[in-house]
Amino acid sequence: MSILTYIAGWPLLAALVLIVVPRNFRVIIRAIAVLATLISAVLAVKMFCNYGSALPDADGYRFVQQIPWVESLGISYHVGVDGLNVGLILMGAIVAFAAALCSFEIQTREKEFYILLLVMTGGILGAFASLDLFFFYFLHELALVPTFIMIGVWGRGEKKNYATFQITLYLSIGALIALIGLIALYIQCGANTFDIPKIIEHAKTNPLAVNAQNFIFPLLLFGFGILVSLWPFHSWAPLGYGVAPSPTSMLHAGVLKKFGLYGLIRIALPLMPQAAQSWAHVIAWLCVGNILYVGWVAMRQKDLNLLIGNSSVAHMGFIFLGIASLNLIGITGAVLIMVAHGFLAALTFALSGYIYKQTGTLEISALGGLCRKLPFIGTALVMAAMAGCGLPGFANFVGEATVFFGAWKAFPTITVIALWGALVIGGIYMTRAIRNVLHGPLPEKWNSLSDASHLWRKLPYALLLASLFVFGVWPRLLTEKINPDAVKIVAQISPAPSADKLVAQSENSGVRN
Amino acid sequence: MKYENLPWLILFLPLISAAVITLFTLRSKTVSSLISIGAVVAGFVMTVIFVNANGMQFSGETSLQWLEIGDLKADFGLKLDALSMMMLFVVTGVGGLIHIYSYGYMHEDRSMARFFACLSLFTFSMLGIVLANNFLMMFISWELVGVSSYLLIGFWFEKPSAGDAAKKAFIVNRLGDFGFLFGILMVWGLLGSLNFSALQNSITANPAALGAMATTAGLLIFCGAMGKSAQFPLHVWLPDAMEGPTPVSALIHAATMVAAGVYMLCRSLFLFNADSLHVISYIGGFTALIAALMAVQQNDIKRIIAYSTLSQLGYMVMTVGLNGPTPAMFHLTTHAFFKALLFLAAGSVIIGMHHEQDIWQMGNLRKKMPITFLTFTIGTLALCGVPPFSGFYSKDAILAQAWEQKSYLLFGVAVFIAALTTFYTFRLFFVVFFGKEKSDHAKHAHESSLVMTLPLVILAVFSFAGGFIGITNNYGSQFVHEHETFSAWQQFAEPFHNPFPMVCGLVAFAIGFFAALSLYKNATSDPLPKKLGGLATLMKNKFYFDEIYEATFIRAHDFLAAVADWIDRWILEGAIIGAIRGGTDLSGRALRLAQTGNLQTYAFLFVLGVALLLYFVLGK
Repeated sequence: MSILTYIAGWPLLAALVLIVVPRNFRVIIRAIAVLATLISAVLAVKMFCNYGSALPDADGYRFVQQIPWVESLGISYHVGVDGLNVGLILMGAIVAFAAALCSFEIQTREKEFYILLLVMTGGILGAFASLDLFFFYFLHELALVPTFIMIGVWGRGEKKNYATFQITLYLSIGALIALIGLIALYIQCGANTFDIPKIIEHAKTNPLAVNAQNFIFPLLLFGFGILVSLWPFHSWAPLGYGVAPSPTSMLHAGVLKKFGLYGLIRIALPLMPQAAQSWAHVIAWLCVGNILYVGWVAMRQKDLNLLIGNSSVAHMGFIFLGIASLNLIGITGAVLIMVAHGFLAALTFALSGYIYKQTGTLEISALGGLCRKLPFIGTALVMAAMAGCGLPGFANFVGEATVFFGAWKAFPTITVIALWGALVIGGIYMTRAIRNVLHGPLPEKWNSLSDASHLWRKLPYALLLASLFVFGVWPRLLTEKINPDAVKIVAQISPAPSADKLVAQSENSGVRN
Repeated sequence: MKYENLPWLILFLPLISAAVITLFTLRSKTVSSLISIGAVVAGFVMTVIFVNANGMQFSGETSLQWLEIGDLKADFGLKLDALSMMMLFVVTGVGGLIHIYSYGYMHEDRSMARFFACLSLFTFSMLGIVLANNFLMMFISWELVGVSSYLLIGFWFEKPSAGDAAKKAFIVNRLGDFGFLFGILMVWGLLGSLNFSALQNSITANPAALGAMATTAGLLIFCGAMGKSAQFPLHVWLPDAMEGPTPVSALIHAATMVAAGVYMLCRSLFLFNADSLHVISYIGGFTALIAALMAVQQNDIKRIIAYSTLSQLGYMVMTVGLNGPTPAMFHLTTHAFFKALLFLAAGSVIIGMHHEQDIWQMGNLRKKMPITFLTFTIGTLALCGVPPFSGFYSKDAILAQAWEQKSYLLFGVAVFIAALTTFYTFRLFFVVFFGKEKSDHAKHAHESSLVMTLPLVILAVFSFAGGFIGITNNYGSQFVHEHETFSAWQQFAEPFHNPFPMVCGLVAFAIGFFAALSLYKNATSDPLPKKLGGLATLMKNKFYFDEIYEATFIRAHDFLAAVADWIDRWILEGAIIGAIRGGTDLSGRALRLAQTGNLQTYAFLFVLGVALLLYFVLGK
C-alpha cells in the first residue's frame, strides 16, 4: 500500500471509529482526532522527505498505488504524487493537524464536529493524491459537504444562516460546472478512462479538438474558479470564513480551496493547451479583480475575519496570475503560493479564532492594544500579517516574487498592478489591522485576557509559522520538486520550442513519431 | 579569498542572536542584551580580521544557490569589495557602539529583550543589504530592514503616535519598494540577470543594452533609494520615525538604514545613464534644501536632528547624481559617525531631562552634563563642516564635486544649505546648552552613566578624525580606476587643491554661526517666527506635505476602497445572490399554484395527464 493511502486513510478511519465512541467521552474523542491527524501529518512529512529517493513510475509519479474498480468505465483507485501535489499534501496534513488542535474552541456537539473535521481532512488529502478523475472529484465533494454543515451548525454571529446559504450555493454551483466540464472532457478525449496520466498520455497523440477545448476550458476555469473565489465570484469567501468556526476556515481557506487551482494546473492546462493560451488574457485580467479590487475591499473591512478573508481572496489573484503566465517561472510560483498560502490562511484564521474565543468579538474598533496582554498571539499575528503582505523570510514572498518574475514576461502591465496590490495595498491594510488590533492603548475591558500559555496551545501556531519559515528560507525544498513537472506542463502548453524546454519537447516528439 | 567563512558568520550571527533571544531568553534582559551586543561586536572583530587578511583592495564573491527556476537564478551570495567592506565597518562598528549605548539607555524598559531582538534582526538585514551580490537578495534584505525599522519605530506600541509612525514609515517605504521591484523586474527582463557583476559586465560590453528603457529603469531603481533614504517626495516618514527609542534613531534613522539608499545607488551606479543621474541629483538637492528649511523651525531635539539627517541624505544623493560616488560614500561614512554621535548625545540629554524633548524646556545643560556637552559640540562642529573635523572634508568633497561637474545651481544650493545647517544646528546648541534653565527638569538634569558616555567619546574621536584616516582611499579604489593612495597628511590638505568650494563652505559656516549666535545666544523663546511670518509657519508645518498626502494618496485609496466595498456588497453579493434566491423563490411560488389541495383538481389533472399520455402513445 502506498503511504498516500495511509495519509488520507487514517483520518477517514478515525472518523468511522468516532461514530461508535459515546459522545460524553470528550477527551477521547478529541485525542482520537488529534492523533489521527498527527499520524497523517507525520506520514506526510516522511513522504515529503523521501520524495527524492522514491522511484518515479513511467509517468513520473511516486508512491503510486492503483486498484482497478469499475473497469468498464476505466475507474480505478489510483494515487501518486509528483512535484505539483507533494507540497500540497504536506501542507494539507500539517494544516489538518493544526486545525484539530485548534478545535478546542468547539464546546457543543464535539463528536459530530470532529467526525466532520476528519472526513474533510481525509477527503481533501485523498483528492490531492488521486490520479483518477472520479476519485479526484468525489473525494473533493466528500470534503466540501462537511464545510456547509460545520458553518451552519457551529458558525458564529448573526449572518450565519445567510453565509451558509451563500457558500453552499456558490460552491455547489462551482462544483457542478466543474463536473460538467470533467464529464465533457472524459467523453471528448476518447481515452475511455478516468485515469489522469493515461488521459494526458492519450492527449499527446490525440489532442482535443480546438472546438472542444474552447467549450470545456471555460467550464473548468469558471467551475474551479468559483471554488477558488476568482473575481467576481468571490463574495462567498470572506463572509463564509468570517462566520465559520476557525478549524473549518483553516481547512477550507488553507487546503480545500487549493483544489480548484490544482485542478486547473493538473488537468486543464496540459489537456487544453490552445484554449489555455486564448483564455490566459482573461484569467490575467480577472486576477486584477482579485488583487486590486478585493485588496481595496479588504482595506474597508471593520471585522478582522472579513479582512483576513478578503486578503485571502486577494492572494488567490497571485496564483491565477502565475497560472495565466503559462511559463515555467509563473507556474512554479503559483504552486509555491498555493502551499505558502495554505499555511498562512490557516495561521491567520487560527489566530483570529483565538482572539474571538477570548474577546467574543472581532470588531476591529472594539479591539486594540492586544499585544500587551497577548504577547505570543500578538507576535504571531504580526508575523502572519507581515507574511500576508509579502515579507521575505516567509514562504509567500518566494511564491509572489517568482510569480512576478514569470508574469513579467507575459503580462508586464498586469504585473505592475499586481506589484502595487502586493506591496502597497497589502501593506496598507495589514499595517492598519496591526495598528488597530494590536497596537495602541489597551481598552479597560480586555485586561482579563490570557495568552496561549502552555505548549499544546502554542503548538498549532508555532507549527504553521515554522512551516512558513522553512519554505521561505529554503524554497528549493519545493522548487526542486515542482520544477521537472512544471517543465512538462509548460512543454505541453507552449507551441514553439524554446531553449529551456527543448528537452521536454524532444520527448514529446519522440512519442509522436 | 582568505577566511571565506567569516563574512557568512558576520552576516548570520545577528540573525542567530535575534532567533535565540526571541525563542529562549525573552525573560532575561541582561542575557538578551549581552547576546545581541556580542553578536555585533564579534562581527566587528571578524570584519577587522577579514580585512587584515585580504586587504582593502580585494574583491570577491561567495554564494550559495538559493532559487533556480528556468531563467530566474537568484543566489544567496555575498559580494566583498572595498565598498561593502567599508560599510561592514560602519554597520558593525557604529552599530556596535549603539548596541552598547542601548544597554544603558533601555535599562529601565520592561521589554528590553524584545528591543535587542529587533536590533539584532535589523543588523542582520542591514548586513544583508551591504553584502548582497544580486538585486533579489538586496531586495529581500531591503524589505527586512523595512520591517525591523517598523518594529522598532513601533517599539512603544501602546503610544498611539508610535503605532501611527510605524505604520506610516512602513507604507511610505513600501511605495518606494514598489518602484524598486518594478525596476528590478525591468532590468532582469532586459539583461536576463540579477547579479551585480553580471549586470555590470553586460552593460560594459554593450552600454546601450537597456535601450530606450534606460532612464525609466534607472529612475525606478532609484525609487527604492527614495523610500529608504527618505528623498522627496517620500521623505515624510523619517521625522515621524523619531517616535522610536533614541538608539534606534541613531542606528537606523541616521547612521545605517537611511544610508542604504545611497549605498544601493553606488552599488548599482553602472545602471544609471546621464539623464537619470541628472534627475537624481536634483531630487537630492531639493530634498536637502526643504529639509534644511524645515529644520529651522522645529522644537523637538530629535526632530531637528532628524531633519538634518534628511538634509544630509539629500546631499549624498545629489552627489551620487553628480557622478561622485566617492564623495557620497565618504560623507555617508563621516555622517554615520557624527550623526550617530549627535543622536546618542541627544538621547543622553533626553534621559538627563527625564524624557523631555522640547528644546525650549532645556538650557544651560553644559554644566550639568559635561561629557555629553563636549561630545555634542564635536558632533555639531563636524556636522557644520568646521576644519579639521570629519564633516569639513566630506562636505568639501561634495561641494568640490558639484563645482567640478559645473553644476553651479546645485553648488549654490549646497552652499546655502551649508549655511542653513550651521544655523539650525547652533540654534539647537545654544538653546539646549547655553542660556538659562528654562524648566525644572533642566535644573535637575544629570549626566548619564559610563555605558552611555563611553560610546559617545569613541564616536567623537571618529567624528573628529574621520577626514584623514583613509576613508576616501578605500572608496576611491572602488570607483576610480587610476586611483592613487593619499597619505594622512595629503588627506589633511586635500581641500586646498580646490580652494574656491572650500572658501564658500567656510563662509557659509561663518554666516550661519553668527546668525545663530545673535538670535539664540540667550534666547528664551524663538524670535524667528515674528521675523519670517508666514514662511516660518510653512517651515514649522513641514510645507504641509503630510496634509497633502493625506488629502490625495490616502483619500484616493480610501475612496476606491469604499467604491469597491459598495460594489461588493450591493452588486456582486446583493444582486447575484438576490437574483438566484429570487429566481428560486419565484419558481417555487409558481409551482405552488399547482398544489391547490383540492382533490377534484388533482383528479382532473390526473385524468388529463392519462388522456394526454394515451393520445401521444396511441395517436402515433
